[in-house]
This record gives sequence, C-alpha cells and structure tokens, in this order.
Amino acid sequence: MNVFALTAYILVWPALTAVVLAVIVTAVIRDYRHAKHSGSEMV
Amino acid sequence: MTESGLYQFSTVTVISLLAAFYIGTFLLTLMIGKSKEDADGYMVANHGVGFGISAASMTATWVWAASFYAAATSGYTYGLSGPIHYGFWGALMILFIYPFGIRIRKLAPNAHTLAEVVHARHGSSSQLILAFSNVIGSMISLMVNFTAAGALVAVLSPLSFQAGVLIAAVGVLSYTIWSGFRASILTDMAQLIAMMAVAVVIIPMVLYAMGGPEMLMANMGNLTAEQSNFFSKEAFFQQGAPYFVAVLAYAIGNQTISQRLFAVRQDMIKPTFLTATVGYGAIVIGLGMIGLLAAIAGIEPMNGDANNLIPQVVSTYLSPVMIAAFFILVISSLSSTADSDLTALSAIMMTDVYGKNIAKNNADPRKMLFIGRLTMIIATTIGVIMASMALDILVMLVFVGGVWGAIVFPVITSMYWRRVSNLAFTAAVIVGLVLFSIARFEWLEMTGPVAVFFESIAGIGGGVVLGLMSFGFFGKRIGVVVGILAGLALTYYGVGFLREYTVLLASLVAYGASSIVCVALTLLNREEFDFRLIGERVGDFDETESEAVDAVPANS
Repeated sequence: MNVFALTAYILVWPALTAVVLAVIVTAVIRDYRHAKHSGSEMV
Repeated sequence: MTESGLYQFSTVTVISLLAAFYIGTFLLTLMIGKSKEDADGYMVANHGVGFGISAASMTATWVWAASFYAAATSGYTYGLSGPIHYGFWGALMILFIYPFGIRIRKLAPNAHTLAEVVHARHGSSSQLILAFSNVIGSMISLMVNFTAAGALVAVLSPLSFQAGVLIAAVGVLSYTIWSGFRASILTDMAQLIAMMAVAVVIIPMVLYAMGGPEMLMANMGNLTAEQSNFFSKEAFFQQGAPYFVAVLAYAIGNQTISQRLFAVRQDMIKPTFLTATVGYGAIVIGLGMIGLLAAIAGIEPMNGDANNLIPQVVSTYLSPVMIAAFFILVISSLSSTADSDLTALSAIMMTDVYGKNIAKNNADPRKMLFIGRLTMIIATTIGVIMASMALDILVMLVFVGGVWGAIVFPVITSMYWRRVSNLAFTAAVIVGLVLFSIARFEWLEMTGPVAVFFESIAGIGGGVVLGLMSFGFFGKRIGVVVGILAGLALTYYGVGFLREYTVLLASLVAYGASSIVCVALTLLNREEFDFRLIGERVGDFDETESEAVDAVPANS
C-alpha cells in the first residue's frame, strides 16, 4: 500500500463519521421540530 | 507528563470535567416532559421514537469503552486489517439483526423484551434461558464500563481507580433512574454527538501530530509482512473469524438491541439500523487506526498493555484541551452503554420476571416502575462491587458467549417455523451449551475421531451462520441453499484444521449442535403454532386512555 492510499485509508473513517453525524443531527432537528409542531414528545 | 508517561489532569480539573459531563447529562433529562412516568414509557418509550434519536441511541449503545481500546489493540497487533477485523464485524451485528427484528416487531408490535416474545411463543423455560443470558451479559457490560471509568480516571489524574468507578456509577444512575429508557436514549443522542465530534477531529490530529504521511513513508518498515497484508490470514483467523461467528449471537443475546428494536417507530427500523451500522463501523475503525499508527511509529505500549495505547498516543502527541476531549469521548462511550445496560436489566426484571412470571399478566404498572428503579440501584451496586474487586470474569464471559451461540438458531426459527416447540428450543440450547463447553474448555482432547466429530458439527454451525444471514436478507430458498453449500464446504475444509482454533471451533459447535437438535425435535413435532397468538399475548402494561374510557361504565 503506497503512502497516499494509506493516508486516505486512515482518514476515510473520520470523514465517514462526519457524514453519519450530519445525518443524525439533521434527523434529530427534524424530529424536534415535528414534536414541537404537533405538541408531542421526542421520547 | 508524569513518570508514568501519561499526561495528568489535576484533581480539580478531572472532577470539573466529570461534574460538567454528568450534571449536563442530568439537566438534559429534565427536558423529558411527563413528570408522571408509566411502565411502557420507562421500558420502550411507548414504541414511538423517531429515526434520529433511535439511530444515535443504537450507535452510542453499541460503542463502549472497550470498542476503542480493542480496535486499537487489533490495529497494533494485526496491522492494516486489524481495525477492520474488530469494527466491521461489530457493525455487522447491528446490520444482520434488523431483518429478523422487522419480523419480530411485526409479530409483537408492543413487546418490551425479546424474552417476552419467546414467552408468548414457548412459555417460561425458553423465556428464562434467554432472559438469564441477557442479565449476565448486561451485568458483565456494566462492570466492564465501570472498570473502564476507574482505569481512565486513575491513569489521567491523581484520583484513585475506586473514585473513578464510583463517580461513573453514581453519575449514570442519577440521570437514568427516574425516566429509564427515555432518559437513556435522549442522553445517548447527546453523548453520541460528543463522541463523533471528538473522533472526527482527533484521528487526523493524531496522524499529523505524529508526522503525517512523511512519518508513514519513513516507518512502514516497522510493520511485518503479515501486518502489511490487508488480507492477512492471521488477522482473519485470530481476530476476524471468531468475531464474525459472534455477529448473530451478540445481537440476539443483547437486550439493549431488542429494546431499541421495540422502541423505534416500526417504519423506521431499517434506516435506524443501517445508519447505526455505518456510524459504529466508522467511529470504531477510525479510532482503531490510532493502534495502527502506533505500530507504524514503533511505539511500545506502556507496561506491555496494549489497552494503554490510545491514552498513551493521545497524551504524547495532543494538547491538554484535546486530551480533555478524549477523556469526554471515553466517558461518553462508557456512560451511554452503562445506562443502556441499566434500562435493559430493569426491563427484564419488570417484564420477564415480574410481569410474566410473578404477576402472570396481571401486572400493576406502578409496582413495575418501582421494580425497575430498584433493579437499577441493585445492578449499579453489584456493578461497582464487581469492578472494584476486579473480578476475573473470563469464564463467565465465555459461558454467556456459548449460551448466546446456542440460542441463535432456536430463537430465529421460532419466529418463522410453526412447528418449533418449547422442548426443541430448550433441548437445543442445553445440548449446544454442553458441546460448546467440551470444545471451549478442552474437556476432551481434540484429536482423532473426537476432533473430527466436533469439526463436523462446527462445519454445520458455519453453514447455519451463513444460511441465517442469507435468509434474513434474501429469504428461505437462498438461505437454505447457502446454508447447505457453506456447511458442506466448511465441513470438508474444517476437518483437520479447525482443532487449531479453539475459540472458533467452540463457537461454531454451539451453533451447529443447537441447530441439529432443534431441527430434529421440530421435525418430530406435528403441532403447528398460530403466530397471531404472540400479538394477543404481548401488549402494553399501561392502560391507554381509550381503554380507560372503555372500562368506565356508561352510566357512571
């Protein structure tokens, strides 16, 4: 494995973590707004 | 830095960090609206949790303190493929359970525990086998997480191991005890966001603080040929294969997964579990890369203990602010799992012990809440004692792993095959566990015909694992074909080979033996179960408002 590929292999995981984090935060905000709008609770 | 080589927070700093974390978490739980809690809310948040919180909670629960340390150890030991062989298979545990989860939820939309569904299907003996294994698993997890808190506090501050254990235990119990599962999943969300945010930053920071690509180029020679091989056979057979075999067993045996399965909105099961799979894999494999970097840089683990690798690397290369962020990362991971264990234990005691076996379906929801909270206090106390005494739990851990392996086939087939009986379920688990123990503890010498016998059963067990995984995603026909072909191939290649890998052999024997017994006894049974009965037998414990109105006489 060359150095460029190895560096990418190490850094792809935090990048993927950031993507999942964005998906979850977006969904939580949407759930929060929906709960607030409908007068229900998130949990 | 101190003589130990690790950065040391002052007592005031570490207490401030812990207080900020646990008080902040407690304040978050005050957002939970209903001051008057009910039993169903306490156990499964009334089955209506949205995608965002469910996905966050499932991920946070599955990521525990040991995940980071074990992934880093795997990276340090096995090189390039090491972190993958820990994190990838751990992530698949979440992925492979969801097709079966959708089926179980369809059969029992308002269940609280998987054992409760098994009770509706088979009765008490099968239910209590599963519930007992769930309890042992969650108690071990609770102890390990409290131990991780004590160890972290002890290495990064002047405070003692016991002080760390006690602070974590009191902190987790204080924010979980009142609202139960609802508090657990709401705080999981915040804890996961903290964990992910720190992981996103800390991994590149460590890479570049160690010297970046130039360091990698200069030191690649520190890896052995086997460590440099992405398809390392040693990494697969020592780390990957035993973990791959455990994929279904850990998922079925863990009430923390079942609880989220019954809590999430029914139409959100698939996206929740898919997101949690990717999230878990990314964060755990990512932090495992710190172990790989340590191996490339030629770092020797402190005191020869690979569990010290991550704190050691973070201490050596990062600023105090980032060390504090790492501290919060680990505290978040262990707290989110510990609170899930507490809520899992309380749900089992409320539903499986009191609701189904003591009150016999005439449960008092208020009494259930009291039992749930009392369970949390007792479990926390036992967890603290076990952690403080540093009990050797290896035998217990191996035993519960064997039970979970033996339980997979009977649990899953019971949800699809009408003829599986209580006798088939119970006998399968007992035989599977006995043969597992013989192989795992080497009560018989694995040579000659004995070894061939066990390797043949293990080959069938491998076929069962791959067959069930295929069945979950592609249906019965493909599942059976894959299972038979894989079983034949693994038996052919496994004889004379598997005896060298005791853990792998024993795990596969648990699957194979329980499956053979379960199928044989099921084929002898002509009685067919009506699956509609499960939905009728499993319901909410609290009276809904409409039911309460219906119960009031019209002329009152």
